[in-house]
Amino acid sequence: MTSLAARYFDGQSSRVHDVAVELLDNRTLRLRGAGIERDEPLEHLRVSPRLARIARTIELADGARLLLDDHPLIDQWFPLHNPLQRWVDRLERHAHAVAASIVVCVLSGAVLFYWGVPWMSDRIAAQLPEQVETRLGEEVLAQLDRFAGLAPSSLDMERQSGLLERFAALKADMPGAENHRLLFRNAAGIGPNALALPGGTVIITDQLVSLVNDDREIDAVLAHELGHQQQHHALRQTLRSSFVIVIAAMFAGDVSSASAVVVAVPTFLLQGHYSREFESEADAFALRTLAERGISPAWFAQAMRTLEAFVSDQGESDDSPGYLSSHPQTRERIDEAEFAGEKFAIEHPELYRERPDYDACAEDGICEDAESEEMDSDEVYECVDDDCERVEPDASLELQ
Amino acid sequence: MTESDDFSLPLAAPPPPPPVPHWPARVQPMPLVEHEFEFSGRGDEYFRIWIVNLALTILSLGIFSAWAKVRTERYFYGNTKLVGVPFEYLAKPLPILLGRIIAVVLFSAYVLAGQFSIGLQLGLALLVAVLAPWLLVRGLMFRARYSSWRGLSFRFVPDYGESYIRFFVLFLPLLASFGLLYPWVKGKQKEFIVDHHRYGTQVFRFLARPGQFYPPYLIAWSVIFAWMFGGAMLFGFGVALLSAGSTSPPPQWIIWAFVVAIYAGYFVVLAFLAAAIANLVYNSTEVGGRRFQSRLKGGRLLWIYASNTVLILVSAGLLIPWAMVRLAQYRASCLSLLARDDFNGIEVRQGQGIDAIAAEVDGLFDIDIGL
Repeated sequence: MTSLAARYFDGQSSRVHDVAVELLDNRTLRLRGAGIERDEPLEHLRVSPRLARIARTIELADGARLLLDDHPLIDQWFPLHNPLQRWVDRLERHAHAVAASIVVCVLSGAVLFYWGVPWMSDRIAAQLPEQVETRLGEEVLAQLDRFAGLAPSSLDMERQSGLLERFAALKADMPGAENHRLLFRNAAGIGPNALALPGGTVIITDQLVSLVNDDREIDAVLAHELGHQQQHHALRQTLRSSFVIVIAAMFAGDVSSASAVVVAVPTFLLQGHYSREFESEADAFALRTLAERGISPAWFAQAMRTLEAFVSDQGESDDSPGYLSSHPQTRERIDEAEFAGEKFAIEHPELYRERPDYDACAEDGICEDAESEEMDSDEVYECVDDDCERVEPDASLELQ
Repeated sequence: MTESDDFSLPLAAPPPPPPVPHWPARVQPMPLVEHEFEFSGRGDEYFRIWIVNLALTILSLGIFSAWAKVRTERYFYGNTKLVGVPFEYLAKPLPILLGRIIAVVLFSAYVLAGQFSIGLQLGLALLVAVLAPWLLVRGLMFRARYSSWRGLSFRFVPDYGESYIRFFVLFLPLLASFGLLYPWVKGKQKEFIVDHHRYGTQVFRFLARPGQFYPPYLIAWSVIFAWMFGGAMLFGFGVALLSAGSTSPPPQWIIWAFVVAIYAGYFVVLAFLAAAIANLVYNSTEVGGRRFQSRLKGGRLLWIYASNTVLILVSAGLLIPWAMVRLAQYRASCLSLLARDDFNGIEVRQGQGIDAIAAEVDGLFDIDIGL
């Protein structure tokens, strides 16, 4: 019978006793050392689960304990102890199990962030009472007003009520949109922008109102923001970010003092991912809504171009990124809107006046008199010679 | 015993004279021996444990996390040795599971509340702050009770009143002083934690005065301030230089460079501060006349923190086990215990009966809250 060397502690003092341990018959463990003579029935003993190379402990009924290096015999002595952790230990030592674990972890990480977090957040968003969202929107508005330099609008009342009418026309007979409201703010720090706050509030900045060339561009922007509102994007985004923070913090909690960085980077990346998803949803909603209201979706592309031109005017040095930076992949979005615009033109030939490239002079003969004609003569020629529909909207923008 | 507050070594008081009056007078006190802590864990080995336990936690929807925690703690305790004897972590998974459920609920509620209403979040924060000193004592008791070495468990002697003073009441002067008292409060808190620990009959004592926490913090604050001030000067200078003669705003990269530089500065200072505070706490801790010696280097710790952060980010978290092992290895390699005895004479505290009853009552709240 093999005996194992162990260190014995009586549980009353820190003294180390070197002992030899062996199985006497199949029911008794025998301890022998200087001054130690104990025979203990196995059923009174508890053994610590096997774990990597760390020492094993056998606890005696009176609080004494044996510390011994890991050895296959130990688990033979106690075949029925710690079945769960014994199985886990086998997995930890098994290359295939480790490989499978890596796959499980990476896959569930991906599933969690691509589907799990959005799904959980949306379930919660659907459950939350409306007042929570409204309250959240009020908080955000108060914070924006206080910290983001939003000032009362300097647009005159007439202009404001004109835009409010357009907003009301857009949201008319939209389900659940009765309480959506439009607010005007002068925001030099933010620049031309529109925001959808939780709970139905849409903010449009004076800078955006004065940048656009046609109010139908504002319609396009407002329809996009209404899309955010109708699908509760602000609330859902908030919930998703919260989940990402909680999950990342759980893992990176005590790994390094840089846990803030470790949490911030994935949060930032995932927020970008989620917000792109919401942007395309809101875009699709805006294109649909515009078409339903008899406004060509091409106005959405027009609004995007106006903003794009503004940003590139600002140059790379722009430190107030404004509307577009939160709306990446501008090119693709413009193309989609143009495509929807063409579809609209085919489906509604009678609404040709609603297209951005509609030219009253060429198509309807309603020409402005020469007095107010301050247009570049090149442009006029182009319009006369060429099919006017093919005048590049960009070119007309450059005139501004 | 508390004859000195400086860190120069050796200065541990000799152990109390042996209670044997007729012993020959020429007996010398045992020489002071430095016992180094060893950490024998390995990154590849811990990775297997970590990944398998994480996978099981995922597949069990979080339930297994308590078992995973016990296995992780046992791995790090069992690989940490002093005088060749490993430490042991004895806690059972179920109380940990309960504590984890509570912690996750509280933390989620806190984060969510922050997004909805500052008032709600403040209310929750206040609730946690009111409960925190109690929770802290419970957590310390739990950890001490289930930490063991040479067959004897550690203990944390609860003193809730004192805990509320150090971790609640002291925030008032802290606020009133605009944070200037922070090092002192931190010192008082460390003192409380160390002083209430026991190992058998051996009492832990904190020898530093709370005021000794000022030098590291003052240095850290000054460096941060100088760094930010210098950074802001450079930033302003750079902006002026780059946009001289033009009306366009400064390029974006200079703003990013400024932000990154400020954060990098914080990171560096925090690593050095962590090393200094850990050294101060260990070097001022005495247990039954034995002294700890901690020689963490800020630069080395900074390197470990920074490289760990990069490794974790580029591996999408898969290298977390290596990061943890590296940190534990370095911490252990810098820590030792100076003692004159062979650690064989430490007895369990008298009056076990009272302890047993207390443990039963404690059992009702025997949870490990991981806040």
